[in-house]
Amino acid sequence: MHIPDGFLTNRVAFSLDALSAASVLYAARRVKLAASGRLVPLMGVLAAFALAAQMLNFPILGGTSGHLVGGALLAILLGPMAAMMTMTTVVFAQALFLQDGGLIALGANIFNIATVTTLTGYAAFKLLGGPGSVGKKLAVVSGLAGWISVMASAVSCAFALVLSGAISLRLGLTAMAGYHALIGIAEGGLTAGTLLFIARVRPDLLKATERERFGGLDWAYAVLLVALPFGILVLGGSSDLPDPLQRLLTGAGASGRGSEGAQALASPGRFLDYALRAGIFVMLIAAAYLVSRFAHIRRRGQ
Amino acid sequence: MKHNFIDRYADLDSPLHQLDARTKLVGFTALIVAVLAIPPGSTLVFFAFFFLAAVFMGISQVPLGYVLAKSLVLLPFVLLASLARPWRGGMGFTFLNALVLRSLLSLIILVLLTNTTRFTELLRGLRNLGCPQILTLNLGFLYRYVFVLTEEVLRMRQARDCRSVGRAPAKVELKILGSMLGTLLVRSFERAERLYQAMLSRGYSGDFPVYGLRRFSWRDLVFIAALAPFVFIAFRA
Repeated sequence: MHIPDGFLTNRVAFSLDALSAASVLYAARRVKLAASGRLVPLMGVLAAFALAAQMLNFPILGGTSGHLVGGALLAILLGPMAAMMTMTTVVFAQALFLQDGGLIALGANIFNIATVTTLTGYAAFKLLGGPGSVGKKLAVVSGLAGWISVMASAVSCAFALVLSGAISLRLGLTAMAGYHALIGIAEGGLTAGTLLFIARVRPDLLKATERERFGGLDWAYAVLLVALPFGILVLGGSSDLPDPLQRLLTGAGASGRGSEGAQALASPGRFLDYALRAGIFVMLIAAAYLVSRFAHIRRRGQ
Repeated sequence: MKHNFIDRYADLDSPLHQLDARTKLVGFTALIVAVLAIPPGSTLVFFAFFFLAAVFMGISQVPLGYVLAKSLVLLPFVLLASLARPWRGGMGFTFLNALVLRSLLSLIILVLLTNTTRFTELLRGLRNLGCPQILTLNLGFLYRYVFVLTEEVLRMRQARDCRSVGRAPAKVELKILGSMLGTLLVRSFERAERLYQAMLSRGYSGDFPVYGLRRFSWRDLVFIAALAPFVFIAFRA
C-alpha cells in the first residue's frame, strides 16, 4: 500500500503533500494543546510498537499474509489526533529507512495510511457505540472499525493511483478493494484480539480515550479532510496543465511519433544502436563511480 | 543481537557525510523532484542523472552492493504495476522504462540521504526546516525503541514457535496473535510510563540536546552548485 516515487503524477503527489502537511500541523497543534508531557514518549514508543508489530504475520488465504497496520487500534487507544501523529511518524520512518514509499509520495502515503485509517477507524468505533463497551460487543465493533479503516485506506490509495493514470478506475477499485477486503479481516481480527486482551489485563488503558476531547469542529475538520482532496483531485485531474506522465498517457503530441517509434523499435539496426548506446552509457557511469570512489581513498591515504 | 539496518553507514566520514543535514535534505529532495520531472523519452537526461548518482555513490563510500540491494527491492513491484497498465506498443515500453529508471533513481538518492546522515542530525535538520517538534520527538523515540521492541517481538515469536507444532485453526491463531500484540502493547505503555518518569527526573524541558553538529560551510555551497544544473536540465528537457 506504500506508493513509491514515480507512480503518481506530480500534480497529485504535490497536492497530497500540501494536504498532509496541513493535517500534520493541525494534529500537532491539537495534540500539544490537549496533552500533558507524558504523551510525548508514549506516542514515540507506540510508533515503534506499530513498526515492530508488523513482524507478526497472520496467514490469510493462498499464501498471502496480513499484519497489523494499527491505525484503528491506536485511534481507539489514544484518540484520533495523537494516533494520527503516531501513524505519521511510522510512515515517515518507513519512507526514510525501509524504502517503503517514496519521499515525494510521502504526502500521499501519510494521507492513506495515517490520516484515513485513524479518522475512519475512530469514527466507525464511535458511531457503532464502541466506547465503554465490553466483551463481544467490543470485539465486533473494534473488528469492524479495523476492517473499515483498511478498506477506506485501500480505496483512497486506489483513487490516488487512478487520478495519476497509473491504473484504470475499474481495475484499481476492484483489485485494491477486493484484495484489502481480505487483508482487512486480519486487521479487524487483530484489532479486536488486542483490545480484548487489553480489556482483560489493563482495562484502565481503554478509558484513556476520554482524555482527549473530540468536538464538533474536529468532526467537521475530519470530514472535510477526507472529502476535500477527492474533490480537488477530481477537479485538478481534469485540468490541462502540462505534465510529462499525463502527456504520455493521453498520447497527445505523441500520436505521430508513437507509431513511427514502434516500427523503428522493431528493426534490428535500431536495436543494435540502442544496445551500443546503452553499453557506452553504462561504462561511463561505472567509470564515474570508480573514479570518484578511488580519488577519495587516495586523498584520505595521504 | 545487533540491529543496524536503519542507517548503517551514517558514521562513515566522506565529503557527503560532512555536509550540513539541511543542505542534504533540501538538495536530495530537489533532486528527486527533478527526477520525477524528467520526460519519459529523454535518454540523455536520465543518463546525466545516473552519472550524478554514480559520482555521489562513489564519493559517499557506502558499499555499492548495499545501495543497489536496497534500491532493487522495488523492481518486482514496478513490474507488477506495469502489468496493470494498458500496453501501447512502443509508448508502453518507453513508459515502463521511465517508471523503472525514475523509481530506481529516487530510491538510490533516498538511500544515499539516510546513509550519509546520522539520525540525530537528520532530525535536527528536519526541525530547523520547520517540521513540527512533536514529529521529530516521536521519530527520535521511535529510532531508540524500535530495536528494543523488535527484539521483544522476535523473542515472543520464538517462544510461540517452540510451544506449537504445525498450524492451529485460524480462530485460535488469531487469539494467540491478539494476546501477543496485546502483551507487546501493554509492555510498550509501561515502558513509556517509566521513560517519562526518567525524563522528568533528569530535567526534561521539551527538547533534546544534539552534539557534534555540522556547520554550513563552503562544502555545502559546492554541493548546491553541483546540483543546480542537473535540476535545471531536468525541468527544461
